[in-house]
Amino acid sequence: MQRRELRGGAALTALPAEQFKTSRITINFILPSKRETATAFALLPNLLERCYAGCPDMTRLSRKLAALYGAALSADSSVQGENRVVTISVCGIRDQYALAGEPLSAEYADILFGTAFEPCIEQGSFDPAQVEIERQKLREQLEGEINNKRAYCVQQARRRFFGDAAAGIERNGYLGDLDRIDGRALAAAYDEMVRTARIEVLVLGADPQQVEARLLEHLDKIERAPAAMRPAVAMPPRPAETYREPVDAVQGKLCLMFTTGRPLSGQELDWMRLAGALLGGLPSSRLFRNVRERQSLCYYCACSYSQLTGALCIDSGIEPKNAQRAQQAILKELADLAGGPISEQELREAKTSYLGALGSVGDSLSSIEAWAFREILRGTFKTPQEVAGAIEATGAQEIRAVLSLFSLSVSYLLEGRGNPDEV
Amino acid sequence: MKYEPVSDEIIRSERVDFAYEKIRLSNGLTVLVAPMKGYRTANAAYATAFGSVDQRFVLDGEEISLPAGVAHFLEHKMFESEEGDAFDRYAETGANANAYTGFERTCYVFGASDRVDESLDILLDTVSHPWFTEATVAKEQGIIGQEIRMYEDSPDWRLMFSVFDCLYFNCPLKQDIAGSVESIAKITPQLLYTCTRAFYNPSNMVLAVAGNITRDQVLAALGRADLPQGGAAVQKLPASEPEQIRERGATVEMAVSRPVLGLGFKERPRPAAERLRWEIMADLLGELLIGDITPLYRRLYDEGLVNSGFSTDVFIGEGYFCILFSGETRDPGAVRAALLDEIARLRREGIRQEDFELCRNLLYGEAVGGFESAESVAGALASLALRGEDLFAELELLATLTVEDLEGALKELLDEGRSATVLLRPAQSEDNGGCGCEKSEGEA
Repeated sequence: MQRRELRGGAALTALPAEQFKTSRITINFILPSKRETATAFALLPNLLERCYAGCPDMTRLSRKLAALYGAALSADSSVQGENRVVTISVCGIRDQYALAGEPLSAEYADILFGTAFEPCIEQGSFDPAQVEIERQKLREQLEGEINNKRAYCVQQARRRFFGDAAAGIERNGYLGDLDRIDGRALAAAYDEMVRTARIEVLVLGADPQQVEARLLEHLDKIERAPAAMRPAVAMPPRPAETYREPVDAVQGKLCLMFTTGRPLSGQELDWMRLAGALLGGLPSSRLFRNVRERQSLCYYCACSYSQLTGALCIDSGIEPKNAQRAQQAILKELADLAGGPISEQELREAKTSYLGALGSVGDSLSSIEAWAFREILRGTFKTPQEVAGAIEATGAQEIRAVLSLFSLSVSYLLEGRGNPDEV
Repeated sequence: MKYEPVSDEIIRSERVDFAYEKIRLSNGLTVLVAPMKGYRTANAAYATAFGSVDQRFVLDGEEISLPAGVAHFLEHKMFESEEGDAFDRYAETGANANAYTGFERTCYVFGASDRVDESLDILLDTVSHPWFTEATVAKEQGIIGQEIRMYEDSPDWRLMFSVFDCLYFNCPLKQDIAGSVESIAKITPQLLYTCTRAFYNPSNMVLAVAGNITRDQVLAALGRADLPQGGAAVQKLPASEPEQIRERGATVEMAVSRPVLGLGFKERPRPAAERLRWEIMADLLGELLIGDITPLYRRLYDEGLVNSGFSTDVFIGEGYFCILFSGETRDPGAVRAALLDEIARLRREGIRQEDFELCRNLLYGEAVGGFESAESVAGALASLALRGEDLFAELELLATLTVEDLEGALKELLDEGRSATVLLRPAQSEDNGGCGCEKSEGEA
């Protein structure tokens, strides 16, 4: 991983990717997440992805990408702790695999930089007709979040967990704000993004020097005032709250949200990687083995930890009639791991599995990029090999220490109707 | 060595600078090894040609009929042995193991960056030594029952099987891969043993390994393994299926925010040797009709009638061939009519060379991308070998197909008279009007 700090609050990271058939370049714009611009930033990538000044029509751009052997252009928006991240990425096959030997890489860079820095903004506004089309798509997406019951349950739990905190700002924005977002508001959001965002460019399998030159060429035209990235946060502990929402579904979903009360740092972060694997990150984890396999209380049960928000999320698919038992069983597994014995064999197996997963990070463009960007956001800049050393050194005492920091804040049950025969 | 290679060939493609070795062993097993330079992980896929559509067969002169869901049930049960759970054994080596069942195959996989030889031993041992009891079967019925219910809540899944149900009278394609709570209740240990004897033998299986692996490693693992000898004489009996469709359409209510349209075409089944070609041509037609390069997609997108999730899926196998267009839309009737109009227009006016090349390039790029990951290479090697195809067949077909080929295919496919329309309609329930959650304070 070669990372170079460039002028103007930007950095470029070149990642080794010679063994792959495709190449990939990504630009991340990172700026403080704000409630008032959340919906604009959720919508902005959809406008950017449609076209750019050099290719000002959505269908023309689709045809251009198809001609480049289905090169993939994506623009997306996410919330990482208290940061809003707009990510624009292009990925396509390498030149030598083109059927007629035509050059492809230079075109990928043209499309990426065109999308990021030459949007179709005229007289301070995106095209109102295009904005209306994309606004409607986002409206449908927001209204349709219930279609995926698992994701919906987690989202509802997160809303109760974060309340009005900045870390809980909605990735996809707010229905109530949509009508206020017009072409001018989006152009203003775009200006704010290119002016104030920290920029992180990741290059895999393309020439980093050419990418750097192209990037600086664009940045030099902008009066930049980049804001610092927001650090990790954590919600304060509080008495647990329980929510139940009836839904017309066969299976129920249960999501539990826990907080550490303070951001984890230093070695604790490495301990938490292994603790998460032991608790619910592996097929051999306690939640999978005991709650699913031994007690048959759920079909899936897994945990995920967010370093940037200090939140631990455990979600499961359950029979509604088993909801209470499933929750008790999950809490017992967490308590047992935080306060009870952990055998040498269990610890060794979890380490072996985690180290195996670390070993495979370098085997795909997407996992190399995801790893590098997560480390950039965390500010830790560790390689998988460095983390492997820390995992090796982690013992049961450290696992217990880090898991005992968590307390339950929210339990959210999406209460399906269950199997009618068993009601 | 217990199982001697009886044939051995290196298959290479200059187009993607990729090669793999295909070895046939004396016990009938097909072994495929694709070393990938620069990769840390090895991925293995051990697959049998036994999927959800295989519900009738003759074994040793006896005809066997299965309830729906047996192949998938077996997939779950093969991880257990008298000594314990295969996941426990994989946990010791650090491999990431899984399995999946499709319409025509069941595949057991792992990925590992260390102790690959031991993980290969576990894979071969697990899949070669079935162990079922009344108690373990009963427990699995509960777990799979929950899985079935989870899928019942998936709009895409419900839509797909509703379309199949309209198109087919008897073809098992119309039944959920996992079966139903009722059908899996009929599964017994004896039935599972019968199926493993029929299908889990080397002559019906393929072992594919890709990534950080060598031929010698794989053959050494096979030398250590205690695989079943030879193969029982099994003959699959496809369901008889009339040419016409069963029903023109159906409406299903469920908790979705917007209607979802499914327009399925029941095509004439194709012989095994032609299936990949027809699958690719159907994929290309989907792109040419309503892919995002088309004016039709653009019009429907701009009118708010489709979104980027609108898709074309092709299902082809022994006794079935179905093309399914599906996606969310606020006006299913308008989208259906527009799609049928476009099929008629394309048939009438022909396919433009430029459009054909764009769609061909698009699929070609996707196929090249498939060589990126050892996991996808191992899975594709196993899956294609069970179909009698090699890994580069898709690339070669895409490079050589012509507009005329596609226009010929269009004459035979996508006949409205053999189509069924399914609509998933938002349930008229007060539960769907936003969050109706109740809160209770205190310790949970």
